[in-house]
Amino acid sequence: MSRISQDNAVAGSRMTRALIYTVLIFFVIYYLLPLYVMVANSFKPLDEIRGGDLMALPNVWTLEPWRDAWSNAQIGVEATGLKPYFMNSFMIVIPAVTLSTIVGALNGYVLTKWQFKGHGAVFAMLLLSCFIPFQIVLIPAAKVLGFLGISGTIQGLILIHFVYGIGFSTLFFRNYYAAFPTELIRAAQIDGASFMQIFMRILLPSSGPIIVVTVIWQFTNQWNDFLFGASFSGFDSTPMTVALNNLVNSSTGVKEYNVHFAGAIMAALPTLFVYIVSGRYFVRGLMAGAVKG
Amino acid sequence: MASLTIENLKKSYGTVEVLKGIDLEIEDGGFLVLVGPSGCGKSTLLNTIAGLEEITSGDIKIGPESVAGLHPSQRDIAMVFQSYALYPNMTVAQNISFGMEIRKIDKAVREEAINKVADTLQIRELLHRKPSQLSGGQRQRVAMGRALVRDPQVFLFDEPLSNLDAKLRVDMRTEIKRLHKRMGTTIVYVTHDQIEALTLATKIAVLKDGYLQQFGTPDDVYNNPTNMFVAEFMGSPSMNLLTAQIIDEDGLKVQLSDTENAPILLPVEDTPAMRSYVGKQVIFGIRPEALTDPEGADRTAQNVVDAECLIEVVEPAGSDTFAVTKLGGKEVIARLRADAQVVPETYTTLSFNMGKAVFFDPDSQLRIR
Repeated sequence: MSRISQDNAVAGSRMTRALIYTVLIFFVIYYLLPLYVMVANSFKPLDEIRGGDLMALPNVWTLEPWRDAWSNAQIGVEATGLKPYFMNSFMIVIPAVTLSTIVGALNGYVLTKWQFKGHGAVFAMLLLSCFIPFQIVLIPAAKVLGFLGISGTIQGLILIHFVYGIGFSTLFFRNYYAAFPTELIRAAQIDGASFMQIFMRILLPSSGPIIVVTVIWQFTNQWNDFLFGASFSGFDSTPMTVALNNLVNSSTGVKEYNVHFAGAIMAALPTLFVYIVSGRYFVRGLMAGAVKG
Repeated sequence: MASLTIENLKKSYGTVEVLKGIDLEIEDGGFLVLVGPSGCGKSTLLNTIAGLEEITSGDIKIGPESVAGLHPSQRDIAMVFQSYALYPNMTVAQNISFGMEIRKIDKAVREEAINKVADTLQIRELLHRKPSQLSGGQRQRVAMGRALVRDPQVFLFDEPLSNLDAKLRVDMRTEIKRLHKRMGTTIVYVTHDQIEALTLATKIAVLKDGYLQQFGTPDDVYNNPTNMFVAEFMGSPSMNLLTAQIIDEDGLKVQLSDTENAPILLPVEDTPAMRSYVGKQVIFGIRPEALTDPEGADRTAQNVVDAECLIEVVEPAGSDTFAVTKLGGKEVIARLRADAQVVPETYTTLSFNMGKAVFFDPDSQLRIR
C-alpha cells in the first residue's frame, strides 16, 4: 500500500516539476527577449534593421552604432554622443550617494543609540519623506535651487538627490542599528570612546551589508531618475537618462535604431554592473534589516 | 581600590519610578551583590553606578568623591556585561586594549598590559582570534580581561554568568571569587541567582520593586531575613512559610493545625514581641534544612522538637532526600539525609530546629522580633 502511494508521489512530483520548469523557462524567455532584441540590433548596420527582421542575428557585425552612441550621435543641438552626459550622471550620482549614505548612517546611529526626546517623531518625518511623490516637490525644489543660485548645475542635482536619499538611507540604517547590541556602545563608552569614535570604530566596521544595500538602492534610483534630471538640469549638467531621451526622441534626421539600442544598453550598464557585483549582499542585507528590525 | 557609597538614590523614567531611594555602602575591597527578581531595578542601579544612566536624585560616591554626573570613562570603573559586549570586528588583544588605545597609551605599555592580563586569565593563545571564534567561556574570560586591564577602583559585573551552561557557571563563579581574593578590588555584582549571591558576596543587597529589602552579610540575609520576601527569595528550595497560631500553654507555643491531622505544638522563645501575638495569627517560617529526620538534626542546636508528620512525596536528590509533607494545610519541604528511611503516605518523625525558625506578621509581612 505504502509503496504504491510513494510511487504515485514520485510520479506526481515529476509532473509538477516539469510543469514548474515549463512556466519558468517561458518567463525567462519572456524577460530576456527584449534584451536579446536590443543587443542583437545594436550590432547591426541600419540597413539590416530596415529590412524588418528584428529577431535575426546580425549578418554583418559592426561596432559602429556603439561608437556613434558614445561619441558622435546628435543629442540636442550638438553631436557629442552620450559620453559627456554619462560623465554628468556619475558626477551627480557618486557624491549624492556618498553623502546620503553617510548622513543616513549617522541618523540611524543617533536614532537608535543616542535617543533624544522626540526621536520617534523625527524618524516618522524622515520616513514620510520616502513617500512624498516627486511631482509635489518640483516647484519648491526649483525655488530653493534658485535661491541658492545653483539651479541648472550639477551641484543642484547633487543636492536634490542627496536630500531625497536621506529618508531611505535613514530607514535602512536605523533598522539595522536597532538590532545592533547597545551593550557594545556602553562598553565603548566605558572605554572612553567619543561619539564619533564609537561610530567609526565599533558601528561602521559591522555595517558592511547595510552599506551595500543603501548604495545599491540609492545608486539605482538616482541613476535612473528622469524627472529631476529633466526639470533641474541645465545645458551642461544633463544626466544620462535625459540625454538618452533626447537622442531617441529627436524629430530631425533619420531614426538610427541601432544607435538608440546601443545607447539604451549603455545607460543601463552601470546599474546592471552594481547589481551583478553586489546583488548577493543586497538580498542578505535586506533580510538582516527586515528580520531583526 | 575604593569604597562605594550610594545615598538616597532615585531614578525614574518619566513618571515611572524604578529606584525609590536606595542607600548602600560597601567598604574598600568588598564584594557587593545586588540580587532580586527581574524588574527589581538591580541592573538599573548598576548602570547608574557605571554612569550609563543618569540619576534623578541622590548621590554616588567612589571613595570620598561624588561621581554623579561624571562620564562613565571618568569614574575609574570597569564593567563586564551580560552579553560580554566584545567588539566583533576586533581581535581579543584589540578588545582588551581598546580603552588604552583611546587614551593614547604607548603601544609598548599596551602590549605589556595585554600580556599580563592574558597570563592571569590564561587566554594568551586566544589573543589573535576574533570573538566569533571563541566559545562562551572564552568570551567570558576575554570580557573579564578587558575589565582587569583597566585596573579600576570598582569592578561592575552585570549578570556575567547567566549565558553559560551550568557546569561552566560553577567554575567561573569560583574563578571570580579567587580573582577577587587575589586583587582585593571592590566589586559590585548583579545577579538574579541567589546561590551566586550567597557564595560570592561579602554583602548582599536584596531589591524588589525599586526598594532595598535587606542589606547585610550573606549569613544575615539567609538566617535573619527582615521580611517574607527576602525569606522566600534566598535559599533553594525556598523557606517554608505557614500560617500558624501563637498560644500560651506552659510557655509560648506555635500551633500548626489543619483539618485532617491533630494540631502540632512547637515551643517558641519567649520574647515580648512574640508574647504580643498570643491568640493571633503569624506566618511561621522554617527552612527545609531545619526540618529534618531526627538522626540528621543539628546536634549543636539548642531547641530541637520532634513531631509526627504525614509524608506525601519523597524526592531523592542524590546528596539529600527531600520529603514533602503537609503542615497547617500547606505543602512543606523537609530536607533529610540521603539515606533517611521515609516512605510516602506514612507518618514519620521530623525534627524542627526551632532555633532557626522565624516569624512574620501576616499583614505587614515584616519579621517579628
